[in-house]
Amino acid sequence: MNTVPLSRTQSSSASKYVTFTLGQESYGLPVLHVREIIRICPITPVPNMPPHVRGVINLRGTVIAVLDLRAKFSMAPVPPGERACIIVLQLGVASTRPTLIGIIVDAVEEVVQLGNSEIEPCPDFGGSTASQYILGVATVRGGVKTLLEIEKIFAEEGAISWQLLERLPPVQETHRN
Amino acid sequence: MNPSAPQLTGSIRATEILNQLAEELAFVVPEQDTGLLPVNRFIMDLEELATQESPMEVSSGLQVARNWLDHILDGTGKFTTEAIHHFNEWHTWMSQALTSWDKKTPMPSWPEKWSKPTPSSTLQPKSNTSFASLSTGDEKSIILNLKDDAELLREFHGESLELLQNIEQGLIVLESNPSDAGTINSIFRAFHTFKGGAGFLHLGAMQDLAHDLESLLDAARRTELKITSGVIDLILSGADALTSFTRQIGSQIQGAGAGQPIIVPTRDLIQRLKATLRGETPNPSASPSPSHTAQTIKHAPIIIEDMAMEVMPSAKTIAAPFKQASSLPSPAAIPTNPAETSGGFVKLDTWKLDTLVDLVGELVIAQSMVVQNPEVQSLTSRKLARSLRQLSRTTAELQRNAMSLRMVPIRAAFQKMSRLVRDLAAKQQKEVQLILEGEETDLDRNIVEKLSDPLVHMIRNSVDHGLETAADRLAAGKPSLGTVRLTASHQRGGICIRIQDDGRGLNPERILAKARERGLIGPDEKRTESEIFNIIFMPGFSTAEKVTDVSGRGVGMDVVRRNIENLRGKIEIQSILGQGTTFTIILPLTLAIIDGLMVGIGEERYIIPTLSVRESFRPRPGMVTTIQERGEVVSVRGHQTPVLRMGPYLGRPMRAKKPEDGILVVVESGEACRALLVDELIGKQEVVIKSLGQTFQNQHLLAGAAVLGDGSVGLIFDVDTLVKFSDKGSLATSKPSSVSV
Repeated sequence: MNTVPLSRTQSSSASKYVTFTLGQESYGLPVLHVREIIRICPITPVPNMPPHVRGVINLRGTVIAVLDLRAKFSMAPVPPGERACIIVLQLGVASTRPTLIGIIVDAVEEVVQLGNSEIEPCPDFGGSTASQYILGVATVRGGVKTLLEIEKIFAEEGAISWQLLERLPPVQETHRN
Repeated sequence: MNPSAPQLTGSIRATEILNQLAEELAFVVPEQDTGLLPVNRFIMDLEELATQESPMEVSSGLQVARNWLDHILDGTGKFTTEAIHHFNEWHTWMSQALTSWDKKTPMPSWPEKWSKPTPSSTLQPKSNTSFASLSTGDEKSIILNLKDDAELLREFHGESLELLQNIEQGLIVLESNPSDAGTINSIFRAFHTFKGGAGFLHLGAMQDLAHDLESLLDAARRTELKITSGVIDLILSGADALTSFTRQIGSQIQGAGAGQPIIVPTRDLIQRLKATLRGETPNPSASPSPSHTAQTIKHAPIIIEDMAMEVMPSAKTIAAPFKQASSLPSPAAIPTNPAETSGGFVKLDTWKLDTLVDLVGELVIAQSMVVQNPEVQSLTSRKLARSLRQLSRTTAELQRNAMSLRMVPIRAAFQKMSRLVRDLAAKQQKEVQLILEGEETDLDRNIVEKLSDPLVHMIRNSVDHGLETAADRLAAGKPSLGTVRLTASHQRGGICIRIQDDGRGLNPERILAKARERGLIGPDEKRTESEIFNIIFMPGFSTAEKVTDVSGRGVGMDVVRRNIENLRGKIEIQSILGQGTTFTIILPLTLAIIDGLMVGIGEERYIIPTLSVRESFRPRPGMVTTIQERGEVVSVRGHQTPVLRMGPYLGRPMRAKKPEDGILVVVESGEACRALLVDELIGKQEVVIKSLGQTFQNQHLLAGAAVLGDGSVGLIFDVDTLVKFSDKGSLATSKPSSVSV
């Protein structure tokens, strides 16, 4: 998994990322996908779902799914702290009604601007880490930020609309199984 | 169109339209006019897009198609085999061109045999055939099919009056500003829409006239024709003729002179229009030859004058030559009171409706938060209590009304199908009856609108592929009359639409062989029967032997499935060889409201659709007995009903450890019943079903979610799944959860 598709970021020389923490680790998501950040609120659990699907919330009249990234990355569960947030992400094409999905994170840090030259491919862990979700790694003021490729994370949840899947042929195949 | 990214949306929109065009082309038949108008419409839509910054190749390609189409439209009005072939080639080329446009790659090479794009080279043959036939024949009359098309005619009538009014208003603008491109365009589109509707209802004379008016405006749009006051007068008299047609349709719908032929003179108008198009100066009073004038007067009824009075000042000039005719008797019933015909409908933007519904939802939540606020509840003022009750009643009523705004019966979509079946059956010389059931089923109007296309495809499919010819049917021991049954019902917490034919059924072996031949599946792959049936939804698959069949070019069923999936629905096939095929479309009630019974299980609240609830009670100790120490049953009105403890079943904590601590809710699905053990009954509530989204698309236990009074989310059970798959093992195996995708 050394070859990282950077095509999506290569077109512009610098992109903005929202960074957040899970435990001691810091992650980044493209700011274009972030619709809003809300405080953690009561989540209605949905039965018979995998542990990382925490349930649904009401976002001003729209019911959206909330995922637990810690569980998704198989990290140890912790009760939500004071700074815990739900980042509401917008997936899919903007021209159609986008799919909204929430992810629980321990704390939101900041928005950073990263040039392409600052993003390195993900180091090879020999397959033990879920490196397929990782777009790259960047160092910001001495700290390492792992940049996530959200389409890949949520394609597994079936949370991406058809329009987007059609542009990502490999994913479509796995989706249809 | 989004102005911020015209090019992007341009090519994407164009590709969409091209796909729709492909669907229409697939059903075009040689020597028939089927699909001509839709094809024309889509090409026109493309042309509109292409005026924005599209590459030269795209515009030229469109010009080629336009020329062919004009040729057909002005000539026989029917496709030839050759023309269909051309259009298919053109479609392939155009999709390549659009892809290149989108990806900014080099354009595909220009096909040799197409003429070079010079605007007038092939446009010439405004073939005289239609012109000639028109100048010899008598005025065309229209006889309405009031019995079968009543609903469609009513719709057409309402819509057309509005269009014609828009046209008149547009013409007023044009009079002061003849070069206003936007107005020309909107008038053009209005005539075009009118023509489409008239064509659909086979109102020949109206369609012809609208077509020529449209051509005139098209010429103006391309600045080939200058809008002069003469031209405006001509268009106005055309619009007046159409209005008088429409009025008469209106009066016939209301029963006045029903069944009588409607005659409005169009011949003279059409000739003048054609003359203007050829570049001759229109002269309303002089151009018709004396004999024409005489004939015009013979038919020209009071309508023309009647119209002029209410239309607009400039219309008077056209009415003037006909004034003398006003004393002559009119051949058909004439509406005396135009106000009668205006329907009680208001058209509005759907987004306004959506916003209203959303806001009402928020209002209801805010209202219940106020009412349920402990501080408010601790107040003892009787006046306040009364006001709050009044508020609750009003908001509830408001909500009910707002919700019902979006719901329409499926009737409109269904009735179009009877028309379609009639035409298809006549064309293919099959005996077909269409049985419609559940037309009154209400569903979201967005769904009804989007359902029409896939339904057309599937009905065509059933009549064409499904049903055999009368001779074949008799040979197979079936009645010669084939039946297509179209039903709609509320089911499984959704809406179920069934298209059932008693035809030859699907042949799994033939499908499999064909799929292997096309390389859609590998030669050694094994498939179950239902998987084989699903192959027909794969792009590029078709079993029809001849491409010239009504369906059979492989663009049908995959588009149907795509359309249904876009509505978040699914489609299933059952088929028995020799006995028929049933397509079942299940659509979610994305915006439908249900009456729900809210129950508490542990700390959570769930909603059970009240329709499925038979009764609920608190069991006395000993009422619930076990069988083999495992399965629990309770006797409900003499029937032993299995008990389902909801807590353990959902994998959530539950307070009631014994049945007598909780409540049993007896639910039914079809013949089967279950008694669900829940902790408490909270209340009955009407809720808006919201989709759970794609994350939970495989969560069959739930029909959706609802936003509750306090703003939290309640999950709505799918009772059918609860009853059928209450054994957890079977739920796990037959209903894969979304992780396994």
